[in-house]
Amino acid sequence: MLALGAGAAALLACGLALATPPAIVASLAGVGASWSVSAWTRGSGAPGGTVLAAAAIFVAAELAYWSLEQVSVPDEGELVARRAAGLALRGAAALALVSFALAALDLHAGGGVLLEAVGVAATVGLLALVLVLAKAGHQQQ
Amino acid sequence: MTDGSSVRYATPKLGGYVGLTALGLLASLIFARPELALIAVPFAVLLAVGLSLAREPDTRVHVEIDRARVLEGDEVVVEVELDARDYAPRLELLVEVPRGLELVEGKNPVALRLDSGEDRLLELRLRCASWGAYRLGEVHLRASDSAGLLAWERTLDRAAVLRVYPRPEELRELVAPRETQLFTGNRVSRQKGEGLEFADLRPFGAGDRIRRINWRASARRGDLWVNEFHAERNADVILFLDSFADARRGGTGTLDQAIRAAASLSERYLVDKDRVGLINFGGVLNWLRPGTGLLQRYRIVEALLNTEITLSYAWKEIDVLPRGTLPPKALVLALTPLLDDRAISALLDLRARGFDLVIVDVSPLPFVEPEPGEAGELAFRLWKLRREGRRSEYERAGAPVVEWRDGTPLTAILEGVSASRRHPHARA
Repeated sequence: MLALGAGAAALLACGLALATPPAIVASLAGVGASWSVSAWTRGSGAPGGTVLAAAAIFVAAELAYWSLEQVSVPDEGELVARRAAGLALRGAAALALVSFALAALDLHAGGGVLLEAVGVAATVGLLALVLVLAKAGHQQQ
Repeated sequence: MTDGSSVRYATPKLGGYVGLTALGLLASLIFARPELALIAVPFAVLLAVGLSLAREPDTRVHVEIDRARVLEGDEVVVEVELDARDYAPRLELLVEVPRGLELVEGKNPVALRLDSGEDRLLELRLRCASWGAYRLGEVHLRASDSAGLLAWERTLDRAAVLRVYPRPEELRELVAPRETQLFTGNRVSRQKGEGLEFADLRPFGAGDRIRRINWRASARRGDLWVNEFHAERNADVILFLDSFADARRGGTGTLDQAIRAAASLSERYLVDKDRVGLINFGGVLNWLRPGTGLLQRYRIVEALLNTEITLSYAWKEIDVLPRGTLPPKALVLALTPLLDDRAISALLDLRARGFDLVIVDVSPLPFVEPEPGEAGELAFRLWKLRREGRRSEYERAGAPVVEWRDGTPLTAILEGVSASRRHPHARA
């Protein structure tokens, strides 16, 4: 677990140093997986640190992509301040959102067919969104 | 962004977030672990909100250069005016700066944020490091939405031509042509006529003006004698620029050196009221008929700016030039690195046709290094000997050749040529 987490952190560092977006995605997925496995070893259900961990991974992802943008063109001072404030706001929103979702999940503990169907629909919808965006990327306005 | 077409594309962040969300949700379903879905929630919400709010910002761009013509080494200011019609959360702007121009002050590229209705003026100060005609002002814009998920790229052609003229060198002395032409100028002609330079005495004749009488000589000889003067005429000078080959190292080379020299020489000869023409002898043959005045100066400099090395193996001889290009009795001043056989034989041909020819050998030696090893050293020595042989060939044909190395003032070279033409046997 620790090795998986450390490997993911090292991959994140490499991804940032070499400005490689796929490495960042892989490292964030690795961090999420290692945290999830550690949570699983502690028993069923979402553990107490889930809110903080989810928000931290989200903020880490935001910071990583922000730093990637700085490789090509660094932001002006004013823009940096605005983006930092926006990031803080998003971090806080992520905390609130995950807390809310956790509370909602606790209310419907056990899931069931309906919840799983919603999950599958959301995943399929996301994949469809990826396809639509990939096509739109080649279109010239 | 406006005018021209923009390309919208998904940023790596969008792909990454979609991947992370899908992965989290799928893993959550497969392993029945709710915390994995919870990790994916902030990413999914950002995707949904970000994509629904994303739209291309409308930004107008205007580029202005403070001057259209400058001298080498001068600085120009490029003003980029941005007029945001919409809120632009992050706008990257890059003004394409051609090689030969250096950014001295200002940020390029720059990433900034513009509020709706905001006007922003960006200033870039550029130093014109080397001569040439540049297209300056092509602007690349990349705008992204607030969440950084989508980006729009556009290239705006706001380019204006910036002409950077070679900085003329100060020349104390010019190579004087042997023959003068019919028009009035600053050169003392061998012919007698109206002028200031005393030439000779002759007996008074009908029609001679009284003020021309040399009273002292007349008193001594007991008869009236008048002064005669050398006429002051102009001359025709043809600058022959060999652009077949260029020895180059770093940011400078023999062609740059030759072009700077041609610009300096043309300016000085034109100031002296001579008619100056230009033959650009290279892969593409260009010429300018001899002319005088400021307009001719600009024509020559423009022609020099367009000079570039064009590789061509087509055989071109100087005979292909129209007759008017090479006026009789013209001084042909050749600037050549003596690297291409076609230019070398063309110059010999000119000399054989009786033109007054002076060759400035723009030495490629400072730009060339021998290959390491004994064979490389030997080849280098042989090449240098071959160059010496070529110079001797010209001198046997009666055309003086002077070697001009980078760093030596051109005026010193020209003084050497003038001295050798005044005293041809005293040449070292």
